[in-house]
Formats: sequence, structure tokens, C-alpha cells
Amino acid sequence: MKLEELLESETLPSRTDLTEEDLARLVRKYRGLLKERERDRAFWAATNENLKIAYEKLDEKERELAKAYGIIQEDLSVASQIQAALLPKPLAKMEAELDLAVFHKQLSEVGGDYYDFFKTKSGSYAIGIFDISGHGVSAALVMTFLKAQFMLIMERLESAKEIVEGVNSISYGFLREVKKYATVNFVIFGQDKLRYTCGGGFGMLLHAKEPHFFAKKDHFLGLREKPFHEHELDFKKDDILVLYTDGMVEAQNDRGEDYSVSRLNQLIINNSEKQVEDILRVCLEDYRNFRSKDTDDITLIILRKKV
Amino acid sequence: MGIGNKEEELKVLGTNIQGFAHACINLNIVAGSKAGSLIADIEATAWYPFERLRAIERTVLESYENAGPIMERVGMEMMGGWYNMGGGKEIIDKGVDFLRFQSGSQGYTSVVIGPEGQVGSFKLIELDEKNGKALIHSTTPFNKDLERGVIIGGMSAPGDLDYIDVNNDEDKYYFKIEFC
Repeated sequence: MKLEELLESETLPSRTDLTEEDLARLVRKYRGLLKERERDRAFWAATNENLKIAYEKLDEKERELAKAYGIIQEDLSVASQIQAALLPKPLAKMEAELDLAVFHKQLSEVGGDYYDFFKTKSGSYAIGIFDISGHGVSAALVMTFLKAQFMLIMERLESAKEIVEGVNSISYGFLREVKKYATVNFVIFGQDKLRYTCGGGFGMLLHAKEPHFFAKKDHFLGLREKPFHEHELDFKKDDILVLYTDGMVEAQNDRGEDYSVSRLNQLIINNSEKQVEDILRVCLEDYRNFRSKDTDDITLIILRKKV
Repeated sequence: MGIGNKEEELKVLGTNIQGFAHACINLNIVAGSKAGSLIADIEATAWYPFERLRAIERTVLESYENAGPIMERVGMEMMGGWYNMGGGKEIIDKGVDFLRFQSGSQGYTSVVIGPEGQVGSFKLIELDEKNGKALIHSTTPFNKDLERGVIIGGMSAPGDLDYIDVNNDEDKYYFKIEFC
């Protein structure tokens, strides 16, 4: 039997099976194996050392990331406070004439939904509700830009159409440059009337318990440089106006169904006898029971004319 | 060619670059995606600037504190691939044939070309088959740990040798070989 066959045999060979040459080769093979082991050890030692260094580097990176994340969180927290401070408080005249309930929630620390209360040149008041494309810091920065534009424009223009058109005209170039746009629902309140311009977003007026939907929509801010339109509606005592962004109505349940505009509007109609805070609470309860998770910023404003 | 000489005019055969990269991938020494991207456009029979090989070599050398044993293993793996899948079986039958193949630097000059005086050589200068000793002198631009692995891998591949030791501790350009 050859040495190779003896080595592969299942039974151990006896001494007599091995020739002198076999024994000499066994020694050589043994030394060869020792050399191989030596090389293997050097390879694995280098590999282990490399793993150790890699883990150390990973730890260091993790610490750096944690530190960077902490700084970002701190910045976002400050940004969130600033954005919250930019949200409006009702004007005295509004409080005197309207019951108002607002729900506003950003998906992350800062977001792109924005609403504001304005005083017009002639002393009326107005509400604007906006949804800036995207989320987070970029949308929040655009929000502050738009807020400033509205405040400037309203010092010289009076009608909803002119104001929205003016803001669009000033903002168009900037919004195109930063690849953003914003829905706008802008309502100016007058004596028993309201005038609105709607470039996206959702609105419903319950006048004498009959619903009127803000369906005549113009384009979004920053999307085109075309004229906007203005619509006038009766708005009298006990009438209810609802304005909202798409955050609630486009949220889905586990089966992939939208919460939907029709569901929200019908819920408000069904509960229109209630106080506005209660209508809001009912809507939120229904929404929370329906949706699997929030996927967008949410703004819902419900108001009733009380005089 | 010694360390520090210019390599701009040297060219290396694509199959050599591929062999090096695949050895690194097989041994999980560099991420497959990284090495794969480095050889994505390499054709086996085309010639490439030596820098293409250096780029992959750097990914190993920069990753390891002690890259010597790693480069040695890469060289062994390369030659295993060359023997089993790269036509090596047709060139050598026995381990010692691999040494003979280096006579006149013919093995090396089949994969690296360049101006004379720059390309260097990888030459068998002594072979004592009876006593199992040989000496190879290398002046190539290749990493010397890699070359040690190439010799071990090339001689081991046919599987007929019981013992192989390659040592260049005294002078890294001279590989003292013992085998039986």
C-alpha cells in the first residue's frame, strides 16, 4: 500500500505496513504541515488584528455619529420651538366673531404644514393654510419664507386673489430654484361673507347646514405663473368653515384604504351641532382609530361664526 | 525593478489583475463589491497600466496593520486559481515545474511588460532538485509578500510536494526555497 492510501485508510496502519521511505515521508509531511500551520497562524493573527482595529474604528465612528446625532437633535429641537413660535394666535376680532379649533401636528420635529391668521389692510381678518412639498427642515425654511411674503404683500393688497397671486409672483423663482411648491387655501372674512382663493388643500363651508366644497382649485404656489381666482360665499351666524391639508385624508389603514375627504367631511356634517372643539375631537378619534400610522403633517381647522 | 522606480510605462495582463482581485474576494479580504468595481471593465487578455493592480493592492495594504501574511495568502490563493482554472495545469505537472517555469523569468514576463530596465525580472537562479533547494531573485514591482505566496501557491498547487518553505527574511528580493 502506498503511504497516501495508508493515510486515507479508515484503520490505523501497523508498523509493518510502513517502509523506511514511508516513515521519512511522514516526517517531511509533518514538517510541511507545521509550516502550513505557521503560515495559517500568521494569516489568522493578521486577520484578527485587523478585525480588532475594524471594531475599534467602528466604535469610534459610532461615538462620532452619536455626537453628530445629538447636535442634530438639539438643532431640530430649537427649530421646532422656533416653528411653533411662528404659528399664530387668533386676533382679537377673530376671537370675538369665531369659535375656533385647530389641530396641527408635524410628522417630524419640523415640517411643511403651516397655517396663519392675518389682518387685512382694511381691518378684516384672514386665514391661510398651506402644505409645503416634502417634510422636515427644507419645508420649514420655505414656510418661514412664505410667511414673510404674505406679511409683506398684505400691507398693500386687499383681495384674496391679489394676495395669493402677489405671493406666487414674488416666490415663483425661489420656489422653482429650491424645487418646492405649496398648496394654499386663503380665506378673507367679511360682513356675512367670505372670499377664498384655493390653490390645493381642502375646504368645506356648512352654510345653513348645506355643504359647499372648495372645489374650484387653482394651481399650487410655485408651480405656475398664472392668475388665481377668487370665490365669494355667504358666511353667517352658526355657519361652519373647515380647512385642512392632505395629511389626514391621505393616511391609510392596514388594508391600504385612504381615510378620505368624503369620510372626514361627512363626519363633520354629522357632528355639526357640536361645539367646534368637540367636532375636532370626534374627527381626531375617528382618524386615529382608522389609520395605521401618520405619514404626513396634519392641519385641521374648524371654525364657527358666532355673531 | 526595485522599490521606488517608476511604474508609469509598465503594463500588466488583465488576467493577473482579475486573479488578484478574485483572490481578495475569495478570502474576504476586501469587500466583494469594492473589488468587483475595481475590475469591472478589465478584460483577461488586455494589457493595463500597472497602477490598476496597485489600486487593488492598496485597498489591502491600507486595511491591514500587518499585511504581510495577508498578501502571502493572496498570492497562494491566486496561484490556486491559476492552476485549477487559469490553465496552470497545462503548464506544470509537479511543484518543481513551477520553479522551472521561472527560468529566464518567462512566467513573469508573460504577465508584465514594459521598457527593458524597468520591467524587472522574477528569475530562478538556483535549483538543486536532489536536495530540495532553490533560489529565486525578484526585481519586479510586485509586493514581496505576495510573491512569496505566489511561489508557495504555485509549488503547492499540483499537490505532489510534502514540504514547502519559502523565506525572504534576509533579503526580500531573494527567495530561499526548500521543498521535498
